[in-house]
Amino acid sequence: MIRTSGLTKRVPTSEGELTILEDVDLHIESGESVAIVGASGSGKSTLLGLMAGLDTATSGEIWLDGQKLSDMDEEQRALLRARTVGFVFQTFQLLPSLTALENVMLPIELKGDPGAGAKARELLDRVGLSDRWHHYPNQLSGGEQQRIAIARAFATRAGILFADEPTGNLDTATGGKVVDVLFNLNREFDTTLVLVTHDERLARKCGRTVKLVAGRIAGEEAAAEVAHA
Amino acid sequence: MPDAAQPDAAQLGAHSLLIVAWRLMWRDWRGGELRLLFLALVLAVTSVTGIALFTDRLERALMLESANMLAADRVLHTREPAPAEINAEAVRRGFRTAGTLSFTSMAFSDSGNMLVAAKAVSDAYPLRGEVITTQRPFTRGAPVAHGPPPGEAWLESRALPALGVEVGDQVFVGETELTVGAVIIAEPDRGQGGIVDNAGPRLMLHMDDVAATNVVQLGSRVSYRSLFSHDDFDQLDEFEQWVRDTFEGNYYIRDVREESEEVAEALDRAEGYLLLGSLFAVLLAGLAIALSARRYSERHYDYVAILKTLGCTSGRISAIYSLIQLKLAAAAVLLGSVLGYLVHEGILRALQASLQVDLPPPGVQPYAVGAMTAFICLLSFALPPLLALRETPPLRVLRKDLTQTRFSDRIPYAFGIGGSILLILWYSQDLVLTSLLVAGVAGTGLILSLISLVFLTSSGSAGMKAGNAWKLAMTAVRRRRRQNVLQVMVFSVTIMSLLILGLLRTDLIADWQAQLPENTPNHFMMNITGSQVDGIEAFFADNAVDSNAFYPLMSARVRTINGSEPESEGEPGENERGASLVENNQFEEAPAADAEAAPGSGESAEDEGRRVRGRLSRRQVTWATDLPVDNRVTAGEWWPENSRPGLISVDEEYADWLDIEIGDTMEFEINQQFVSAEVANFRSVRWDNMQPNFFIIFSPGTIDHLGGTFLSTVLLETEQKLLLNDLIRQFPTIVVIEVDALIEQIQNIIAQVSSAIELIFGLVLVAGALVLLACVSASLDERFHENAILRTLGAGRKLILTSLLIEFTFIGIVAGVIATLGAEGGLFYLQEWVFEQDFNLHYWVWIAGPAAGAVLIAFLGVNSTRKVVNTSPLTVLRRVV
Repeated sequence: MIRTSGLTKRVPTSEGELTILEDVDLHIESGESVAIVGASGSGKSTLLGLMAGLDTATSGEIWLDGQKLSDMDEEQRALLRARTVGFVFQTFQLLPSLTALENVMLPIELKGDPGAGAKARELLDRVGLSDRWHHYPNQLSGGEQQRIAIARAFATRAGILFADEPTGNLDTATGGKVVDVLFNLNREFDTTLVLVTHDERLARKCGRTVKLVAGRIAGEEAAAEVAHA
Repeated sequence: MPDAAQPDAAQLGAHSLLIVAWRLMWRDWRGGELRLLFLALVLAVTSVTGIALFTDRLERALMLESANMLAADRVLHTREPAPAEINAEAVRRGFRTAGTLSFTSMAFSDSGNMLVAAKAVSDAYPLRGEVITTQRPFTRGAPVAHGPPPGEAWLESRALPALGVEVGDQVFVGETELTVGAVIIAEPDRGQGGIVDNAGPRLMLHMDDVAATNVVQLGSRVSYRSLFSHDDFDQLDEFEQWVRDTFEGNYYIRDVREESEEVAEALDRAEGYLLLGSLFAVLLAGLAIALSARRYSERHYDYVAILKTLGCTSGRISAIYSLIQLKLAAAAVLLGSVLGYLVHEGILRALQASLQVDLPPPGVQPYAVGAMTAFICLLSFALPPLLALRETPPLRVLRKDLTQTRFSDRIPYAFGIGGSILLILWYSQDLVLTSLLVAGVAGTGLILSLISLVFLTSSGSAGMKAGNAWKLAMTAVRRRRRQNVLQVMVFSVTIMSLLILGLLRTDLIADWQAQLPENTPNHFMMNITGSQVDGIEAFFADNAVDSNAFYPLMSARVRTINGSEPESEGEPGENERGASLVENNQFEEAPAADAEAAPGSGESAEDEGRRVRGRLSRRQVTWATDLPVDNRVTAGEWWPENSRPGLISVDEEYADWLDIEIGDTMEFEINQQFVSAEVANFRSVRWDNMQPNFFIIFSPGTIDHLGGTFLSTVLLETEQKLLLNDLIRQFPTIVVIEVDALIEQIQNIIAQVSSAIELIFGLVLVAGALVLLACVSASLDERFHENAILRTLGAGRKLILTSLLIEFTFIGIVAGVIATLGAEGGLFYLQEWVFEQDFNLHYWVWIAGPAAGAVLIAFLGVNSTRKVVNTSPLTVLRRVV
């Protein structure tokens, strides 16, 4: 489903070039759930951004849903995202001028699918917010906002879900509820989940954990067993 | 997994795109995101439509009003009957036509006789305006839309007692007898023409009666006027061109501007001012649009990044935002047109009393102008920053600091400047004026932005220094210097526009009032002999009328300049510019200092020929002890009271034409005698003040002994006009030229254009205020965030409010200083080059400009940002995250 080969990302800085990711080879199967863990600055979010086609690599290749991202321009990547990918972000990234319902409807409308309202209501019901559909993001708590973001991520039935620190802005109890919602829907829709986190408990919920250290893969762990160091 | 049955995003059709755009727009609107931009667009359409409606109606009204001065829209003035085919062509083109024939004649009755200015009119006369008639002299009349029928003579009030007749009595003109049918109180084109039309009271008769009078013979001094009228201004211009082309320049159809220099100047200046006002209004509105579009696009970076992560392509982002703007513009045009109509109607109603003219109904064009302006503004000011959004990297959802990099920041400015130039060009239809304006504004903008950068950079040092309001404000000014330079520029441009329009308005009105003040003498007395002067003075003193200076009048010809005689080429030139009433009414060959050969113009062989002819022509000259009113010595010195004879004072433009300098010696031939004189000074002469003006004035004792007649003026109110009968009875040889009707008409037109420019200034003032508001709002987000953090950290309301007050006051003072500099510079350019006025520095503005800037910006700024301290910091921070 997702494959990277020799993936490298460097950015120019005032003190010379900075390597964020180096020679990352990763293979994620369809329906798999993978946690990418590592310290701050290890390159987790950069890797997620590259795999989701939000950014371009300095070198190396990425295949997403069988298509080679490195051969595509931003327009083609956007179309691929629309068809294939859903997102959940640490800072929720809901549009402040839209209600909860409209935020969930947005990707469905952008895709041109019919019945956006009904589908969005159903999803809001699934994340336990059917009574808050008409509220704006700033009228909702952080946990509620993240649940709306999750509903939005599943709105177009995308095959792959990228989640960047989905509980990073939430307390433990709220984070736990949000994680339950995320994994329940993931199972139900049989989505491939790629999750960036530094929360080990969250990472353990995934089928596999990939550890990044200073931009390189330092090791992988399968669920409940350490693969190799 | 992806649902294979779902359509590909790429296949999203135009219909779906429209729906998405519509929904996004509606949600944006509801969320308040679009309101400011929409408000700016509505403001642009409202102000432009309002001004366009107003100027369109006012201009047409002024044209119609001034057409009354001709009794027609266009006039053909000839000494012989005009070719019949001109009239035939006019009729074929759907014109209304009429004709008049003026001549001087004696009118007789059983009990008296007098010299009258006779005017025969055809049935359709007058085509514009009305003749005001009554049945008894010196009473209030009623308008009639025609002249006398055959067999009748209509007389001006003072002719009736002079001839000893009443309405219904008989008068003789030449060999025919006419019945006095009415008393003329006013006629539309009374002021037109020269001595033939103005020497004596009017006697109006029907054209059919002229032949019977047997007065008009071959070679008689008569004046024919063919009158043409059409409601379509384009038709008038086309007909004028047809006459010019068909008769190869032998016949010229003229409008009121060509017929009356005074009116032409007033109308030209008023139109210039209206144009300038519209330009400023639309540019200010454009600025408001640019500012609010910028704010809108800045607030949409995250929005677009999210849309992109959701799979929206750049193309679709562009399409969605373009559609939103189009819909917004359409709504703004609709609302703005309605508001524009209401605004102009409201102002007209409020000022009905001061607006002394009937306005024709509004046309469609102003609405089109408003709509076009909205779309051009949108394309050039709003769309570029919005289209730049398409380049927002989707990675921004992960890294907030990322913004688009491909689309240069300067491109929106380039579009804005391009759009402004397009608008100026479209409004002014004048490439040269546009180029000059653009070059001027660009230079000024560059200098001003440098000055403001220096001001703002030098105002503080690093750090927040949050403990003290003054330091907090100054560091805020410095930290935001990039945004502040932009803000100061916007404030400066707005205040500058208002200062320029305000000062120009004051100067123009003052200039007009000085041109023809209330007590302008309205009668010229000519052909006065030296022995009559005392008698006439005594006559006026007895009747409690102020008499004015008596100018000796002689016809002089330049023989030599510094001893050398200019060579003559051909016949003396035609009268190319009637420079003064004296020159006009003498019908002498009096080529004035033709503007075409003014200094600086290239001098061709033809110019040189005209210069020589000018040197050799005859002029009316005078001698005087004192400098005449409205004259100003520009070089040399006016002679003292007991000066030596043999000095002359020369009009400065005429001196340029003659190519003479102070100290040169000129020899003249006056009444077959030669007189030499030294050039003592040059004068500027106000040729449009309807007073006796002279190119050359001799010092006392130089030409006094050469005889000649005298010229004087007098102010007579309507009720004093009967005195003229007694005056002429007592001094039968003098000729009185009556210009009271003409002066009154010009004063009316000037009053109308004055109130017009006052109104335009008011409208631009509103546009300016809204720009200031938009500009302050543009920086609100950042201030909200920053002050929320400060308050969270324990800063008190008072500290923040005081610091905001100091910051805005400082920005206001800087903007005020820059605006004052710019306004004086702009005024210098406009007055010297566009409005042809003398430029003087306005010292009070150097205090008032910065003070007004400080008060205005501080008030607006603190008022708009007051909610910064009234909203809970948590709300602000949650909104911003």
